[in-house]
Amino acid sequence: MNKCIDTEIQEMLPDLLHGSLHERARREVEMHLATCESCREDMDLIRTVKSAAVFAPSIDVDRVVRQIPPYRMIVPGVERQTRTQVVTWLLAAGLLVAIVGGGSVLFSRRTTQEPAVGVIDSGSKTVAKAPLPTESQDVAVSRPDAIEGPAGARPRGLALASDIEGLSDGNLVQLMNEMNRFDALPAAEPEPVISVDSGDSL
Amino acid sequence: MTPSPESRPEETDMELINRWKAGDSRAATRLVGRHSQALARFAASAGEREGIDELVQDTFVRAFASLDSFRAESSLRTWLFTIERRLMLDRRRAERRSRETVPVQESDQVSEYGALDGLIAEEAQERVRKSLDALSPTQREVFTLRVQQGLSYKEIAEVVGSTEGAARVHYHNAIRTVKEFLKNE
Repeated sequence: MNKCIDTEIQEMLPDLLHGSLHERARREVEMHLATCESCREDMDLIRTVKSAAVFAPSIDVDRVVRQIPPYRMIVPGVERQTRTQVVTWLLAAGLLVAIVGGGSVLFSRRTTQEPAVGVIDSGSKTVAKAPLPTESQDVAVSRPDAIEGPAGARPRGLALASDIEGLSDGNLVQLMNEMNRFDALPAAEPEPVISVDSGDSL
Repeated sequence: MTPSPESRPEETDMELINRWKAGDSRAATRLVGRHSQALARFAASAGEREGIDELVQDTFVRAFASLDSFRAESSLRTWLFTIERRLMLDRRRAERRSRETVPVQESDQVSEYGALDGLIAEEAQERVRKSLDALSPTQREVFTLRVQQGLSYKEIAEVVGSTEGAARVHYHNAIRTVKEFLKNE
Protein backbone atom coordinates (compact mmCIF):
# COMPACT_ATOMS: atom_id res chain seq x y z
CA MET A 1 0.00 0.00 0.00
CA ASN A 2 1.37 3.37 -1.03
CA LYS A 3 1.47 6.20 1.46
CA CYS A 4 -0.88 9.00 0.46
CA ILE A 5 0.83 12.33 -0.07
CA ASP A 6 -2.30 14.48 -0.05
CA THR A 7 -1.88 16.04 3.38
CA GLU A 8 -4.82 18.37 2.84
CA ILE A 9 -7.20 15.44 2.52
CA GLN A 10 -5.54 13.68 5.47
CA GLU A 11 -6.06 16.71 7.65
CA MET A 12 -9.74 16.85 6.75
CA LEU A 13 -10.50 13.25 7.75
CA PRO A 14 -11.41 14.10 11.38
CA ASP A 15 -13.70 16.84 10.07
CA LEU A 16 -15.47 14.29 7.87
CA LEU A 17 -15.98 12.09 10.91
CA HIS A 18 -17.44 15.00 12.91
CA GLY A 19 -19.62 16.15 10.01
CA SER A 20 -18.10 19.60 10.02
CA LEU A 21 -17.15 19.78 6.33
CA HIS A 22 -18.98 21.85 3.78
CA GLU A 23 -20.80 19.90 1.10
CA ARG A 24 -18.19 20.43 -1.58
CA ALA A 25 -15.24 19.47 0.67
CA ARG A 26 -17.14 16.47 1.99
CA ARG A 27 -17.73 15.13 -1.55
CA GLU A 28 -14.09 15.71 -2.40
CA VAL A 29 -12.86 13.74 0.63
CA GLU A 30 -15.34 10.92 0.03
CA MET A 31 -14.23 10.62 -3.58
CA HIS A 32 -10.62 10.48 -2.45
CA LEU A 33 -11.39 7.80 0.13
CA ALA A 34 -12.98 5.64 -2.56
CA THR A 35 -9.65 5.35 -4.32
CA CYS A 36 -7.02 5.72 -1.54
CA GLU A 37 -6.42 2.72 0.68
CA SER A 38 -3.96 4.59 2.92
CA CYS A 39 -6.52 7.25 3.77
CA ARG A 40 -9.20 4.61 4.33
CA GLU A 41 -6.89 3.03 6.86
CA ASP A 42 -6.37 6.40 8.52
CA MET A 43 -10.11 6.92 8.58
CA ASP A 44 -10.68 3.56 10.28
CA LEU A 45 -8.04 4.41 12.85
CA ILE A 46 -9.56 7.81 13.53
CA ARG A 47 -13.01 6.25 13.91
CA THR A 48 -11.65 3.75 16.44
CA VAL A 49 -9.83 6.41 18.44
CA LYS A 50 -12.94 8.56 18.53
CA SER A 51 -15.09 5.72 19.75
CA ALA A 52 -12.51 4.85 22.40
CA ALA A 53 -13.45 7.93 24.37
CA VAL A 54 -17.13 7.11 24.59
CA PHE A 55 -16.52 5.47 27.95
CA ALA A 56 -15.70 8.64 29.82
CA PRO A 57 -17.78 8.87 32.99
CA SER A 58 -21.08 10.64 32.65
CA ILE A 59 -21.33 13.98 34.40
CA ASP A 60 -24.15 14.92 36.76
CA VAL A 61 -25.17 18.21 35.19
CA ASP A 62 -27.44 19.32 38.05
CA ARG A 63 -24.67 18.76 40.57
CA VAL A 64 -22.29 20.88 38.54
CA VAL A 65 -24.86 23.65 38.11
CA ARG A 66 -25.54 23.73 41.85
CA GLN A 67 -21.89 24.57 42.43
CA ILE A 68 -22.03 27.60 40.16
CA PRO A 69 -22.73 30.74 42.20
CA PRO A 70 -25.09 33.35 40.78
CA TYR A 71 -23.62 35.74 38.26
CA ARG A 72 -23.70 38.97 40.26
CA MET A 73 -22.06 37.43 43.30
CA ILE A 74 -19.06 36.03 41.55
CA VAL A 75 -18.35 37.98 38.43
CA PRO A 76 -14.92 39.50 38.91
CA GLY A 77 -15.66 42.16 36.31
CA VAL A 78 -18.25 43.66 38.62
CA GLU A 79 -15.86 43.58 41.54
CA ARG A 80 -13.22 45.22 39.46
CA GLN A 81 -15.70 47.87 38.45
CA THR A 82 -16.56 48.55 42.09
CA ARG A 83 -12.91 48.70 43.04
CA THR A 84 -12.27 51.00 40.12
CA GLN A 85 -15.08 53.24 41.19
CA VAL A 86 -13.74 53.40 44.75
CA VAL A 87 -10.27 54.24 43.51
CA THR A 88 -11.69 56.88 41.20
CA TRP A 89 -13.64 58.46 44.03
CA LEU A 90 -10.58 58.42 46.28
CA LEU A 91 -8.50 60.04 43.59
CA ALA A 92 -11.15 62.67 43.01
CA ALA A 93 -11.37 63.36 46.74
CA GLY A 94 -7.59 63.61 46.99
CA LEU A 95 -7.48 65.96 44.03
CA LEU A 96 -10.19 68.12 45.58
CA VAL A 97 -8.32 68.29 48.89
CA ALA A 98 -5.12 69.17 47.06
CA ILE A 99 -6.82 71.93 45.09
CA VAL A 100 -8.63 73.40 48.11
CA GLY A 101 -5.64 73.05 50.43
CA GLY A 102 -3.13 74.30 47.90
CA GLY A 103 -5.40 77.13 46.89
CA SER A 104 -5.89 78.27 50.46
CA VAL A 105 -2.14 78.11 51.13
CA LEU A 106 -1.42 80.12 48.00
CA PHE A 107 -4.12 82.61 48.89
CA SER A 108 -2.83 83.07 52.43
CA ARG A 109 0.77 83.47 51.17
CA ARG A 110 -0.37 85.99 48.63
CA THR A 111 -2.25 88.02 51.19
CA THR A 112 0.73 88.01 53.58
CA GLN A 113 3.27 88.84 50.88
CA GLU A 114 1.28 91.64 49.30
CA PRO A 115 1.42 94.60 51.63
CA ALA A 116 -2.05 95.61 52.50
CA VAL A 117 -1.02 99.17 52.46
CA GLY A 118 -1.82 102.30 50.72
CA VAL A 119 0.94 104.75 49.98
CA ILE A 120 0.26 108.30 50.69
CA ASP A 121 2.70 110.59 49.15
CA SER A 122 2.84 113.61 51.35
CA GLY A 123 4.49 115.65 48.64
CA SER A 124 2.01 115.18 45.86
CA LYS A 125 -0.91 114.54 48.19
CA THR A 126 -1.95 111.56 46.12
CA VAL A 127 -3.51 108.70 47.90
CA ALA A 128 -3.17 105.10 46.72
CA LYS A 129 -6.04 102.86 47.48
CA ALA A 130 -5.37 100.03 49.88
CA PRO A 131 -6.75 96.60 49.07
CA LEU A 132 -9.69 95.45 51.13
CA PRO A 133 -8.96 96.66 54.61
CA THR A 134 -11.00 95.65 57.57
CA GLU A 135 -12.22 97.81 60.36
CA SER A 136 -9.99 96.18 62.90
CA GLN A 137 -6.82 96.61 60.90
CA ASP A 138 -4.26 99.04 62.17
CA VAL A 139 -2.90 101.99 60.35
CA ALA A 140 0.82 101.48 60.34
CA VAL A 141 3.46 104.03 59.62
CA SER A 142 6.48 102.24 58.31
CA ARG A 143 10.12 103.21 58.52
CA PRO A 144 10.61 106.19 56.30
CA ASP A 145 13.40 104.51 54.37
CA ALA A 146 11.10 101.60 53.56
CA ILE A 147 8.33 103.74 52.28
CA GLU A 148 7.84 104.24 48.60
CA GLY A 149 8.19 107.72 47.30
CA PRO A 150 10.48 110.11 45.55
CA ALA A 151 14.08 109.83 46.66
CA GLY A 152 15.23 112.52 49.03
CA ALA A 153 11.77 113.35 50.29
CA ARG A 154 11.30 113.83 53.98
CA PRO A 155 8.82 111.58 55.70
CA ARG A 156 7.73 110.22 52.46
CA GLY A 157 4.47 108.53 53.14
CA LEU A 158 2.08 106.72 55.31
CA ALA A 159 1.34 103.06 55.22
CA LEU A 160 -2.30 102.63 55.85
CA ALA A 161 -4.16 99.45 56.52
CA SER A 162 -7.56 100.98 56.37
CA ASP A 163 -9.70 102.28 53.60
CA ILE A 164 -9.49 106.03 53.68
CA GLU A 165 -12.58 106.20 51.53
CA GLY A 166 -14.46 104.96 54.52
CA LEU A 167 -13.33 107.86 56.66
CA SER A 168 -15.62 110.71 57.34
CA ASP A 169 -14.75 114.26 56.37
CA GLY A 170 -13.77 115.03 59.93
CA ASN A 171 -11.48 112.03 60.11
CA LEU A 172 -9.90 112.99 56.83
CA VAL A 173 -9.21 116.45 58.10
CA GLN A 174 -7.72 114.94 61.22
CA LEU A 175 -5.61 112.66 59.09
CA MET A 176 -4.32 115.55 57.04
CA ASN A 177 -3.48 117.41 60.20
CA GLU A 178 -1.53 114.44 61.48
CA MET A 179 0.33 114.33 58.20
CA ASN A 180 1.19 117.96 58.54
CA ARG A 181 2.63 117.22 61.94
CA PHE A 182 4.88 114.58 60.40
CA ASP A 183 6.42 117.28 58.26
CA ALA A 184 7.58 118.95 61.45
CA LEU A 185 9.48 115.89 62.64
CA PRO A 186 13.27 116.11 62.48
CA ALA A 187 14.46 114.56 59.26
CA ALA A 188 17.86 113.59 60.69
CA GLU A 189 16.59 111.08 63.21
CA PRO A 190 13.29 109.76 62.12
CA GLU A 191 11.41 107.48 64.37
CA PRO A 192 11.99 103.90 63.19
CA VAL A 193 8.37 102.86 63.35
CA ILE A 194 5.34 104.75 64.41
CA SER A 195 2.25 102.65 64.90
CA VAL A 196 -0.98 104.49 64.96
CA ASP A 197 -4.26 102.88 65.70
CA SER A 198 -6.45 103.25 62.66
CA GLY A 199 -9.56 104.23 64.46
CA ASP A 200 -9.34 106.28 67.54
CA SER A 201 -5.75 107.48 67.50
CA LEU A 202 -5.98 109.11 64.12
CA MET B 1 -45.24 33.45 12.34
CA THR B 2 -43.37 32.93 15.59
CA PRO B 3 -41.61 29.58 15.67
CA SER B 4 -42.61 27.23 18.44
CA PRO B 5 -39.99 26.41 21.08
CA GLU B 6 -39.53 23.01 19.50
CA SER B 7 -38.85 24.40 16.07
CA ARG B 8 -36.74 27.28 17.35
CA PRO B 9 -33.14 26.91 16.29
CA GLU B 10 -30.66 25.88 18.93
CA GLU B 11 -29.51 28.81 21.03
CA THR B 12 -25.88 29.69 20.66
CA ASP B 13 -23.50 29.59 23.58
CA MET B 14 -23.35 33.36 23.66
CA GLU B 15 -27.13 33.63 23.82
CA LEU B 16 -27.17 31.20 26.73
CA ILE B 17 -24.37 33.09 28.47
CA ASN B 18 -26.32 36.33 28.16
CA ARG B 19 -29.44 34.63 29.49
CA TRP B 20 -27.50 33.30 32.46
CA LYS B 21 -26.10 36.75 33.15
CA ALA B 22 -29.64 38.04 33.09
CA GLY B 23 -30.49 35.59 35.88
CA ASP B 24 -31.78 32.56 33.99
CA SER B 25 -30.24 29.56 35.77
CA ARG B 26 -31.68 27.18 33.14
CA ALA B 27 -29.22 28.66 30.69
CA ALA B 28 -26.38 27.41 32.89
CA THR B 29 -27.93 23.97 32.94
CA ARG B 30 -28.05 23.94 29.16
CA LEU B 31 -24.48 25.12 28.82
CA VAL B 32 -23.18 22.52 31.26
CA GLY B 33 -25.26 19.80 29.59
CA ARG B 34 -23.95 20.80 26.19
CA HIS B 35 -20.24 20.72 27.05
CA SER B 36 -19.73 18.53 30.11
CA GLN B 37 -19.34 15.20 28.31
CA ALA B 38 -16.81 16.62 25.88
CA LEU B 39 -14.80 17.88 28.84
CA ALA B 40 -15.04 14.48 30.51
CA ARG B 41 -13.85 12.74 27.36
CA PHE B 42 -10.96 15.13 26.96
CA ALA B 43 -9.92 14.57 30.56
CA ALA B 44 -10.14 10.80 30.15
CA SER B 45 -8.17 10.79 26.93
CA ALA B 46 -5.59 13.13 28.45
CA GLY B 47 -4.86 10.57 31.14
CA GLU B 48 -7.06 11.53 34.09
CA ARG B 49 -8.14 8.39 35.85
CA GLU B 50 -9.88 9.67 38.94
CA GLY B 51 -11.97 12.66 39.81
CA ILE B 52 -12.98 13.48 36.26
CA ASP B 53 -16.39 14.67 37.43
CA GLU B 54 -14.72 17.00 39.94
CA LEU B 55 -12.39 18.25 37.28
CA VAL B 56 -15.30 19.02 34.97
CA GLN B 57 -17.14 20.72 37.81
CA ASP B 58 -14.13 22.85 38.71
CA THR B 59 -13.77 23.78 35.07
CA PHE B 60 -17.33 25.07 34.90
CA VAL B 61 -17.13 26.89 38.23
CA ARG B 62 -13.98 28.65 37.13
CA ALA B 63 -15.37 29.39 33.69
CA PHE B 64 -18.63 30.84 34.97
CA ALA B 65 -16.71 32.92 37.50
CA SER B 66 -14.77 34.56 34.71
CA LEU B 67 -17.29 34.60 31.91
CA ASP B 68 -16.84 38.33 31.51
CA SER B 69 -13.34 37.67 30.28
CA PHE B 70 -14.65 35.33 27.55
CA ARG B 71 -14.60 37.43 24.39
CA ALA B 72 -16.01 34.78 22.05
CA GLU B 73 -12.93 35.01 19.86
CA SER B 74 -12.84 31.23 20.11
CA SER B 75 -15.70 28.87 20.75
CA LEU B 76 -16.84 28.40 24.32
CA ARG B 77 -15.84 24.74 24.16
CA THR B 78 -12.30 25.60 23.17
CA TRP B 79 -12.13 28.06 26.04
CA LEU B 80 -13.43 25.39 28.42
CA PHE B 81 -10.80 22.92 27.17
CA THR B 82 -8.13 25.52 27.86
CA ILE B 83 -9.34 25.99 31.42
CA GLU B 84 -9.64 22.24 31.98
CA ARG B 85 -6.17 21.61 30.61
CA ARG B 86 -4.74 24.21 32.97
CA LEU B 87 -6.53 22.55 35.89
CA MET B 88 -5.15 19.17 34.85
CA LEU B 89 -1.63 20.55 34.75
CA ASP B 90 -2.12 22.14 38.20
CA ARG B 91 -3.43 18.88 39.51
CA ARG B 92 -0.47 16.92 38.19
CA ARG B 93 1.99 19.42 39.57
CA ALA B 94 0.33 19.16 42.98
CA GLU B 95 0.44 15.37 42.78
CA ARG B 96 4.10 15.45 41.89
CA ARG B 97 4.86 17.78 44.77
CA SER B 98 2.94 15.62 47.20
CA ARG B 99 4.88 12.57 46.09
CA GLU B 100 8.12 14.47 46.45
CA THR B 101 9.61 12.75 43.47
CA VAL B 102 12.39 13.82 41.19
CA PRO B 103 11.41 16.09 38.29
CA VAL B 104 9.16 14.27 35.90
CA GLN B 105 10.70 13.32 32.59
CA GLU B 106 8.94 13.08 29.27
CA SER B 107 8.79 9.30 29.55
CA ASP B 108 7.19 9.59 32.98
CA GLN B 109 4.58 11.95 31.62
CA VAL B 110 3.76 9.47 28.91
CA SER B 111 3.23 6.77 31.49
CA GLU B 112 0.97 9.15 33.41
CA TYR B 113 -1.27 9.26 30.42
CA GLY B 114 -2.51 5.76 31.00
CA ALA B 115 -5.73 7.45 30.09
CA LEU B 116 -8.24 4.98 29.06
CA ASP B 117 -7.66 2.21 31.62
CA GLY B 118 -10.96 0.67 32.46
CA LEU B 119 -12.71 2.73 29.83
CA ILE B 120 -12.00 0.64 26.79
CA ALA B 121 -13.53 -2.75 26.61
CA GLU B 122 -12.92 -4.10 23.20
CA GLU B 123 -9.65 -5.50 22.05
CA ALA B 124 -9.25 -3.11 19.13
CA GLN B 125 -9.78 -0.17 21.41
CA GLU B 126 -7.31 -1.60 23.89
CA ARG B 127 -4.74 -1.64 21.13
CA VAL B 128 -5.52 1.98 20.33
CA ARG B 129 -5.06 2.87 23.98
CA LYS B 130 -1.62 1.32 23.97
CA SER B 131 -0.72 3.16 20.81
CA LEU B 132 -1.79 6.44 22.37
CA ASP B 133 0.49 5.71 25.30
CA ALA B 134 3.37 5.77 22.83
CA LEU B 135 2.70 9.43 22.05
CA SER B 136 4.23 12.39 23.80
CA PRO B 137 1.82 14.34 26.03
CA THR B 138 1.47 17.15 23.51
CA GLN B 139 1.01 14.77 20.57
CA ARG B 140 -1.63 12.97 22.53
CA GLU B 141 -3.49 16.13 23.42
CA VAL B 142 -3.42 17.38 19.86
CA PHE B 143 -4.44 14.02 18.44
CA THR B 144 -7.37 13.49 20.81
CA LEU B 145 -8.58 17.08 20.50
CA ARG B 146 -8.53 16.68 16.73
CA VAL B 147 -9.94 13.19 16.45
CA GLN B 148 -12.21 12.88 19.45
CA GLN B 149 -13.37 16.47 19.82
CA GLY B 150 -13.18 17.59 16.22
CA LEU B 151 -11.40 20.86 17.02
CA SER B 152 -9.73 22.79 14.26
CA TYR B 153 -5.96 23.25 14.29
CA LYS B 154 -6.41 26.86 15.24
CA GLU B 155 -8.53 25.91 18.25
CA ILE B 156 -6.11 23.18 19.25
CA ALA B 157 -3.23 25.63 19.11
CA GLU B 158 -5.18 27.87 21.47
CA VAL B 159 -5.87 25.07 23.93
CA VAL B 160 -2.33 23.74 24.10
CA GLY B 161 -0.71 27.15 23.84
CA SER B 162 1.03 26.49 20.56
CA THR B 163 0.80 27.52 16.91
CA GLU B 164 -1.49 26.19 14.22
CA GLY B 165 1.46 24.87 12.23
CA ALA B 166 2.89 23.09 15.26
CA ALA B 167 -0.51 21.53 15.91
CA ARG B 168 -0.59 20.16 12.34
CA VAL B 169 2.89 18.68 12.74
CA HIS B 170 1.92 17.08 16.06
CA TYR B 171 -1.18 15.58 14.46
CA HIS B 172 0.70 14.06 11.50
CA ASN B 173 3.44 12.69 13.76
CA ALA B 174 0.83 11.26 16.11
CA ILE B 175 -1.17 9.44 13.45
CA ARG B 176 2.04 8.06 11.93
CA THR B 177 3.21 6.82 15.35
CA VAL B 178 -0.12 5.19 16.12
CA LYS B 179 -0.23 3.45 12.76
CA GLU B 180 3.33 2.15 13.11
CA PHE B 181 2.63 0.97 16.63
CA LEU B 182 -0.39 -0.99 15.48
CA LYS B 183 1.51 -2.50 12.55
CA ASN B 184 4.41 -3.65 14.73
CA GLU B 185 2.27 -5.03 17.50
